[in-house]
Amino acid sequence: MTHVNIDKVDVDARRRAANIMRESILPILRDISKLKPPKLVIPKRTLSNTIFDPEKGILVLGEEVLERNLLDIGETRRFMQTLLMASIIYQALIENEYPTIRDLYYRGKHTIIYKDLTRRHKEENTWDEQSESDSALRDLEVMTGLLREEMLILSKEKGKVVGDMRIKSGPDVIDLSKLGHGAYAIESTPDLIEFLDVNAEFVLVVEKDAVFQQLHRIGFWKQYKCILITGAGQPDRATRRFVRRLNEELNLPVYILTDSDPYGWNIYSVFKVGSITLSYESERLATPKAKFLGVSMTDIFGDKNKKPYISESERKNFIIKAKERDIKRAKELMNYSWFQTEKWRRELQLFLEKKVKLEIEALTGKGLKFLAHQYIPEKIQTKDWID
Amino acid sequence: MSRLENFREMSVAEFFAKYREVAGFSNPARALYQTIRELVENSLDATDGHGILPEIRIFIEKVNSSNEKSLCRVTVEDNGIGVPPTVMPEAFGKVLFSSKYVIRQTRGMYGIGVKAAVLYGQVTTGSYVEVISSTKGSSYIYMKRLYIDMKRNEPVIVEEAQWRKPGLWHGTRVSLAIECDWPRAKSRVLEYVKRTAIIAPYADIILQTPEEEIIYFPRTTRKMPKPPRESKPHPHGIDVETLKQMLTNTKAKTMLEFMEAEFQSVGKITALKFLETIGLKHNMRPKKLLKDSNGAILARIVDSMRLFKFKPPRSDYLSPLGKELIKIGLTRMYSPEWVDAITRPARVYQGHPFIVEVGLAYGGSIPSLEEPILLRYANKIPLIYEEREDVSYKVLKDINWKNYEINMPAPIVVLVHVASTKIPYRGVGKESISDVPELEQEIRACILELARRLRRYLSYKEREAEAMRKVVVLAKYIPEISRSLKIISKSPDEWKPLEPNEEKDIVDALIKLIANYIEVSKLITGKSSVEDMIRDIISEVKIS
Repeated sequence: MTHVNIDKVDVDARRRAANIMRESILPILRDISKLKPPKLVIPKRTLSNTIFDPEKGILVLGEEVLERNLLDIGETRRFMQTLLMASIIYQALIENEYPTIRDLYYRGKHTIIYKDLTRRHKEENTWDEQSESDSALRDLEVMTGLLREEMLILSKEKGKVVGDMRIKSGPDVIDLSKLGHGAYAIESTPDLIEFLDVNAEFVLVVEKDAVFQQLHRIGFWKQYKCILITGAGQPDRATRRFVRRLNEELNLPVYILTDSDPYGWNIYSVFKVGSITLSYESERLATPKAKFLGVSMTDIFGDKNKKPYISESERKNFIIKAKERDIKRAKELMNYSWFQTEKWRRELQLFLEKKVKLEIEALTGKGLKFLAHQYIPEKIQTKDWID
Repeated sequence: MSRLENFREMSVAEFFAKYREVAGFSNPARALYQTIRELVENSLDATDGHGILPEIRIFIEKVNSSNEKSLCRVTVEDNGIGVPPTVMPEAFGKVLFSSKYVIRQTRGMYGIGVKAAVLYGQVTTGSYVEVISSTKGSSYIYMKRLYIDMKRNEPVIVEEAQWRKPGLWHGTRVSLAIECDWPRAKSRVLEYVKRTAIIAPYADIILQTPEEEIIYFPRTTRKMPKPPRESKPHPHGIDVETLKQMLTNTKAKTMLEFMEAEFQSVGKITALKFLETIGLKHNMRPKKLLKDSNGAILARIVDSMRLFKFKPPRSDYLSPLGKELIKIGLTRMYSPEWVDAITRPARVYQGHPFIVEVGLAYGGSIPSLEEPILLRYANKIPLIYEEREDVSYKVLKDINWKNYEINMPAPIVVLVHVASTKIPYRGVGKESISDVPELEQEIRACILELARRLRRYLSYKEREAEAMRKVVVLAKYIPEISRSLKIISKSPDEWKPLEPNEEKDIVDALIKLIANYIEVSKLITGKSSVEDMIRDIISEVKIS
């Protein structure tokens, strides 16, 4: 056990998470001591219990709960797994450790040796695959309302940020404008970051790491006073939480730039309303005010009152034929209520009509300067985005 | 004191030529089986028929022979009532002399069997039968060696002796040599003895084979069925031959006396009414009817008796085994997981009372076969041959075991015992019972009822097993659950890593809780309580 370099923010977060965890498990103990069959009440993480809350503009879990009763032998194993995971996290919180989800898997992986009815020796693992321990962790997140970041569980860092901004992480103050060609990796516990001061007017999130690097090197964020962020593909939770905090706490508008295809639109959707399979996180991770800057279908093909950004001859070289699964994905997106605005309907219809897509690199193919000094600023200035 | 059989002489002679086939002496293998069977059944009748716990010893020895014939000596000894020396010659040396030609439920009938064996022995080996016997009250043991004079149907004594009896022994030992085929007879003989041991678990039976192998079925109970009582024939159940015998032997002076004295269920008023119906004078001399040369009158009397409404026949002289003995017998042979039996009340077919008893055993050492093993008995005699012709087989093969949640192949034994003063055998071989509707109905009712009880047991067992599986599933997770809960129960301020066994209070509470919510009967847990059982399972759970 070490107390070195554990600052107050960290300690408080640990104490808070440990207490919430303990309070949510204690009723089980009370039931057992009263010889009442104990049960875990867990909000359902199913698709049918995932609801779009139009007021908040995010995906949330519905009212449905599942009861995991110890005496229901179909559920006993998962009952055990949930409690096992709770105890590992609880102990890690108290002992000032920072487990990863892989660590949690290994710490809880025990072999139970027992004899069955016919007196034969049997062996069973508390969990076999990490998918089982991950599932137990997700159950605990919805049960306690604590996100894994709040439980000080680390995951791989994926997101990056640069910009004219100072933050405090642990005992250190970091200047996000003095990182050279590099960038600050958004840490697994973004809630422990303290925003010190910021000199920016908006946040630009780009889907692709390569485009992030290009914009960084060309000095885009300095020139246009923005915080530049990438989630490098599907964003991790820390990146989403960080973006949310920038929007919520610093009131910075957030623009998102992705490929012009259903995959890119889905990344935007995850930032904005949350992920369908993990909707319980949206409450803290989603940024409902995020705006889709591009690349839109009308940027390629133009519209009644809009000239396309790409000429007809360029179009031939830049666009790619949509694949079958892109079409399928687009049709799925059309079913989601938050894609049923007029603008989105137009985008998706255009896509299904033309059956082509465009990668953001195609715009840098036209010249990085076109992207940095014409396309992005012009779109923001003319409010040519989709909300 | 000892009750002696009521021996009576009968007047039919020269029977064997015909009887050799029908009595089951058609070939040396069958003859050996039949000889053992006749002797053993006589021994059982002489013991359990008189309230004596049977001790039966069977010896089969090879006898050296000068020619190519294979010979053996069969000796059967019992502790029965014994045969008095005066009747010994005729009991073993005169065909159709028998104590059994009265209406009583005994194993043998007509008293032909043992004499057929004697005749068969003397014809095939030229040797004599040796009988050693002593009755219960006698001070002497008597021995006679004799053969049958086939022309005159008379016993001829070759040698005799008597000894003062030193102890209290009583019983009979019969020994004779016959032509035999042991290798071919062996499996049937062993099966016969085994099935006898099942139905007579109160008997102590030892068999020594020619290979000097000893097969021993020790007595497993001292409980015996009540001995059968003698009774007079019921008018519905006689034929012309029987009527002739009765008229010959009766001491009655008038037909009224004859009807009243020689039949059961016939009183004075009934007798008068019946005689009036058939137009016979009540004071007519019975012997006069014997002068009716072509038997037309006798046939008319028999037919009229069948149609006339007499009181139903009495059944209290039938000797069923009772369900307890059947269960004991099946248990001793198969150690089944489940066994039950039914003894039905007596019923009547064609004027003959009968009782059907059925036992059903499941599991244990019973092999799983496509069809249940069927053990058939008639008046406590195992029936081995002609199974597929038997009424019990007919009933059994129509039963759909799936309806009773049993998937064949399954380990099932069905035992059917028919007790009657007249078993409706299918043929003269007396190895199968014909499908008399009344009998078939009773057998079916018994088997179906037992099958229903078996189904109840199996579904009960299934529920128990389900509960047990549940206990194991819960018990194996208790250590892990308890440890986890104990860790979380400790507040962050007083945190210390878990000590070994620190979670014991939670384990105990969980055991109590599970025991409260899961009902497991004593059937499976044995003597221990559910809590102890869970604790046992947990004590063997290891976590690594």
